Amino acid sequence: MNRHLVTLICITLPVVLLVIAAELIDDRLLTRLATTLCINMILVLGLQIFTGNSGILSFAHIGFMGIGAYTSAVITMPARLKSMALPELYPIMQGVQLDPLVGMAIGGVVAALVAAIVAYPLMRLSDAAAVITSFALLMILHTIMVHWSEVTNGPRTLFGIVEATTLQLAAAAAVVAAIGAYWFKESRVGILLRAVRNDEVAAAAIGAHIPLLRWRAYVLSAFYAGIGGALWAHFITSFSPNAFYLRETFVILGMLVIGGPATVSGAVFGVFSVTAVFEGLRALEKAINAADLFSSTVVGLTEIILALVMLIVLILRPGGIIERNEFGTLARWPFMKKQNSSRGE
Amino acid sequence: MSNRRLRINEVSVEFSGLRALDKVSLTIETGEILGLIGPNGSGKTTLVNAITGQVRPSTGAVCIGDEEITALSPRRIALKGITRSFQQVRLFNDLSVVENVAATSLAKGLSLRAARQTARELLVDFNLSDFGDMAAGALNHGDKRRVEIVRALAGDPSFLLLDEPAAGMNETESDALLATLAELPASRALGILVIDHDMSLIMRLCHRLHVISSGKTIGEGSVETVRSLPAVVEAYLGTSETSP
Ligand SMILES: Nc1ncnc2c1ncn2[C@@H]1O[C@H](COP(=O)(O)OP(=O)(O)OP(=O)(O)O)[C@@H](O)[C@H]1O
Ligand SMILES: [Mg+2]
Repeated sequence: MNRHLVTLICITLPVVLLVIAAELIDDRLLTRLATTLCINMILVLGLQIFTGNSGILSFAHIGFMGIGAYTSAVITMPARLKSMALPELYPIMQGVQLDPLVGMAIGGVVAALVAAIVAYPLMRLSDAAAVITSFALLMILHTIMVHWSEVTNGPRTLFGIVEATTLQLAAAAAVVAAIGAYWFKESRVGILLRAVRNDEVAAAAIGAHIPLLRWRAYVLSAFYAGIGGALWAHFITSFSPNAFYLRETFVILGMLVIGGPATVSGAVFGVFSVTAVFEGLRALEKAINAADLFSSTVVGLTEIILALVMLIVLILRPGGIIERNEFGTLARWPFMKKQNSSRGE
Repeated sequence: MSNRRLRINEVSVEFSGLRALDKVSLTIETGEILGLIGPNGSGKTTLVNAITGQVRPSTGAVCIGDEEITALSPRRIALKGITRSFQQVRLFNDLSVVENVAATSLAKGLSLRAARQTARELLVDFNLSDFGDMAAGALNHGDKRRVEIVRALAGDPSFLLLDEPAAGMNETESDALLATLAELPASRALGILVIDHDMSLIMRLCHRLHVISSGKTIGEGSVETVRSLPAVVEAYLGTSETSP
């Protein structure tokens, strides 16, 4: 079997199995958990597209998630709710009420457009300068969300968003997202961008257009974030700008970094493993408190242990758990190794 | 691509007060191999960097044919048909050998399929086809150097600048490399500039030599002429040939 096919199966099958399990067990909590996982997977894959291929950490990702969420929320909300939920909304937008699927698509496109405009000047930056500017961009996007009351209801919770995200929809989107991320990595732009990640000087010397390559990945990455945000908005149905800030950034970045940013396999693995650990710890925390083992209630166990796990993984494997080889090449490894050792080094 | 020449005219490069190159002029014709020699720190790599846009000349001009390309970005210079290898190998270590070579064609705008096809054909020419699917970072040193040369060739350049291509190779490897390089100018209508400290390789490979010392030209001409120039013998060849 072809290595691409193996990889594609390995990164999409877990989602399919998850949906089947959720259908069979038919538990409301499990279904919600699975839906959240699928949405997180889209967000992590989006981040992988830029950060993984370019090697530049981006903190702004969750800001684009917020753009997608607010865009789709506002343009799909029934007019009668709008007057309550968004009293200051511009009159011209009060009559707009699109189908949620259309709204989500537009949410992704708007996030991508904003990224396309603001990101180009940033794409010349590398290393620390790139990381710190991406953080500044997150703060700017957050501040805008907090203060643009006309469309976000300001720092207050925006409620009354149409519920439209089912597990099936989120899972289908996650599968498409995984295939898309892998396709991008293996595409013309993906290969050149990874070349730039390895060696900027050599890449420029063969004629690679470094800012343009990064920009394309960034725009696609923001599109993923926008779609993920819109799916999440129509799943959770009420939120405030704080949902798109540091905590969410930490979770999404953590999943990617632990799984292995350079591979799509790592991104998917990171989502599943971190979710499993997270939920396991939460259950444990609950059980401990229920059993009354300690005099006071245990809080924050989940966050602390997750942070510790992250530290340990990064110390032992700085490139994440799946550092370099996609699932497909992991399977071909013995053959490669043989060829390798016959040449020495 | 015929009859264009790469002309470097009175190029100087300064690094915060240090004059690494001082009004160096040279020409590389299509179809020839020019050897650039000189002691350590004489400015050979700096000259290549000045041609390919990695450093900006303080004065002087670099031209292909009638077109001035001085201080264009490295990317534009590459797309004008000048590619290079580096003294310290710079491969895309996480990419496969085929992808390393294909990257050059991809940067020129070729499709993935066409770029891979070209890459595989070139790798066959350099006896590297067995390693096509290996990660470039896993190659041994000599093969890395050869992959870097193949990568530079993949853009179908008019001029190829090689910074110590045989460094770190054993004698068999460097003889094989010499044989391959010697055929390139004719078979691919290409001008080559080679830097190397291995005088035996340089003497056998090059049609003409250019010698610099402390950033200044101290001799140029045919291999025979340069060999007998007193300034060259004193500054470079004399010391180089007696040391092991
Ligand atoms: N980026 C730089 N900044 C400051 N000085 C530099 C830089 N690059 C080169 N130099 C200096 O310029 C001079 C020429 O260096 P260059 O690397 O061109 O020599 P070279 O002839 O290639 O030497 P070698 O044979 O050792 O490779 C040296 O004195 C070097 O220290
Ligand atoms: Mg040098």
